[in-house]
Amino acid sequence: MTLKIALTKGRTEKQVLPLLEQAGMTVAPIRNKGRRLIFNDDPQYHTILAKGPDVLTYLNRGAMDIGIVGSDILDEQRNPQYDMLDLKTGQCRFVLASTADFDPGQTRRKIIATKYPNITQDYFATIGEDVEIIKIEGSVELAPLVGLADAIVDIVETGSTLRENNLQVFAELQPVSTHLVVNRLALKQKQSEIQALIQNLQQAIQED
Amino acid sequence: MSKRNLPVGTRDEFGPETERKAQLTQLLQERFTQQGFHPIKTPVMEYRAVFDAMAPTPENAYQFLEETGETLVLRPDLTLPIARVMSTTGITPPTKWCYTGDVFRIKKRHSGGYNQITQSGVEIIGYQSLKAEWECLLLAAGICAELQLTDVTLELSDASFVDTVLAQLPATNQAALKQALFNKDLTAYDQLLKRLPKGPLTDFLADWPWLFGPADQVLAKLPADATIQASVADLRKTISFLQANCPDLQLTIDLSSQSPQPYYTGLVFHGYRPEANDYLFSGGRYDRLLSSFQQTRQPAVGFSFDLDALAATLPQKAPEKPTLIYFTDNQWAQAQALAAKTPNASLCLADSLAAATRQAQSLGATLLDLSQEAPQ
Repeated sequence: MTLKIALTKGRTEKQVLPLLEQAGMTVAPIRNKGRRLIFNDDPQYHTILAKGPDVLTYLNRGAMDIGIVGSDILDEQRNPQYDMLDLKTGQCRFVLASTADFDPGQTRRKIIATKYPNITQDYFATIGEDVEIIKIEGSVELAPLVGLADAIVDIVETGSTLRENNLQVFAELQPVSTHLVVNRLALKQKQSEIQALIQNLQQAIQED
Repeated sequence: MSKRNLPVGTRDEFGPETERKAQLTQLLQERFTQQGFHPIKTPVMEYRAVFDAMAPTPENAYQFLEETGETLVLRPDLTLPIARVMSTTGITPPTKWCYTGDVFRIKKRHSGGYNQITQSGVEIIGYQSLKAEWECLLLAAGICAELQLTDVTLELSDASFVDTVLAQLPATNQAALKQALFNKDLTAYDQLLKRLPKGPLTDFLADWPWLFGPADQVLAKLPADATIQASVADLRKTISFLQANCPDLQLTIDLSSQSPQPYYTGLVFHGYRPEANDYLFSGGRYDRLLSSFQQTRQPAVGFSFDLDALAATLPQKAPEKPTLIYFTDNQWAQAQALAAKTPNASLCLADSLAAATRQAQSLGATLLDLSQEAPQ
């Protein structure tokens, strides 16, 4: 049976293609995709390219069997499907960051800007703090610079964007990487195909 | 919100799929009552505490306040209300109930899911014997066969298996291992496994997250450990029983998954088709069901069909061409008799033949005109 895979387009896609290739998938059509979003030339694997949160929407509805998506999105969206494998690509981490004068011990309720309200809430819940969260859709670094928020919770890969904006890290939250997620019923319906793909990927991850 | 909008997660139901759903509802209830199940209907709303035994707690339920300040919910489950009935009315088990009703579970907004789904099922309360599971399985398999669904896979599992295996392991990290197993988080599972000392179960544990699939293959992978083998005795008996009585069913076993609800205690089963997006039916044994209402346990087994999934999976039949029957005021009996024996026919209630003809044309219907035969 054909496996239907939803792949997060953009950076995740580029980072994960070599691994998929090592695991035996034909990825040349995706590399040379032009404007195509759907690849069904390979009878074994049909692939679509979608935005991260949409990968989960397709997966949850059963329109796709497998999703390849960042763990930031899995955590933020409270993904109910099987998060089976850490592909160890796209590795970065969540941090709490702000300007140098930010005082983590300040006694008033903090205002935190983030693209990830659930992850932010989870973090502050674990340290027993209640904060006000402001949802920002992009360039979160701006928020503490213009006085919208006391600090931000965001993903950092190298930290250069933070440094360029004179922000520093105040706490390390969870790591982020690309994961392979499987629809619960599809795992039963296409067990041998999915198991073979996962075992090939596990092998490929070890070789890397 | 405009009065022309539906709330998110709701829908109107009409058309061929709704007609199939109505036929299915009728068929299922007929089969259940023929087997001696008695209909039961519980309210659409209940006190929130009725559903305390569900996991996760009903945060996905529609909630509102009664005038006394108590929290009410639209029922997210049909089994717990029946447990409440059993525990509060003094009805003496054994009893067999059947029901059809809607459950309400709030899904993520704008994700394409519906929050109101229809279930039709049975509860057998008061029988400890495996025969109770078997009656449920035969009923479900019989209904699938009657609907000519020949590609149904029946998946069996046992709610106590995972804990039986974990009890054989050193106590450290058991909770984490169980969580990783249930989530099928292979990365975390493999790491936790590495920390366990080598033992007779090591090879088995490495493969445990994949311990599902065709029944004979899964059973062959089980370790020789006497406790573990004893824990699947009912499963083996059930498989032999089904092989003998329902040879059309594909039988699979899953010994690595979480029970649908924490109150399950024994056999758990699901039915699905190869291309479907949802289980067609689900059920099992839940001897702890009444525990949230009373001190004593009461054996219980039940299952329900997801009528929306079932209706969606049946082949679409092309509808019969409609027929309209035009008649005069003194031909009611004749017209009704004709409508009853003509497929997809209905009475045309127009007052003139010209109006009836126009209506038939606009509907693409055949017009049967009885008025010519009317006594003058």
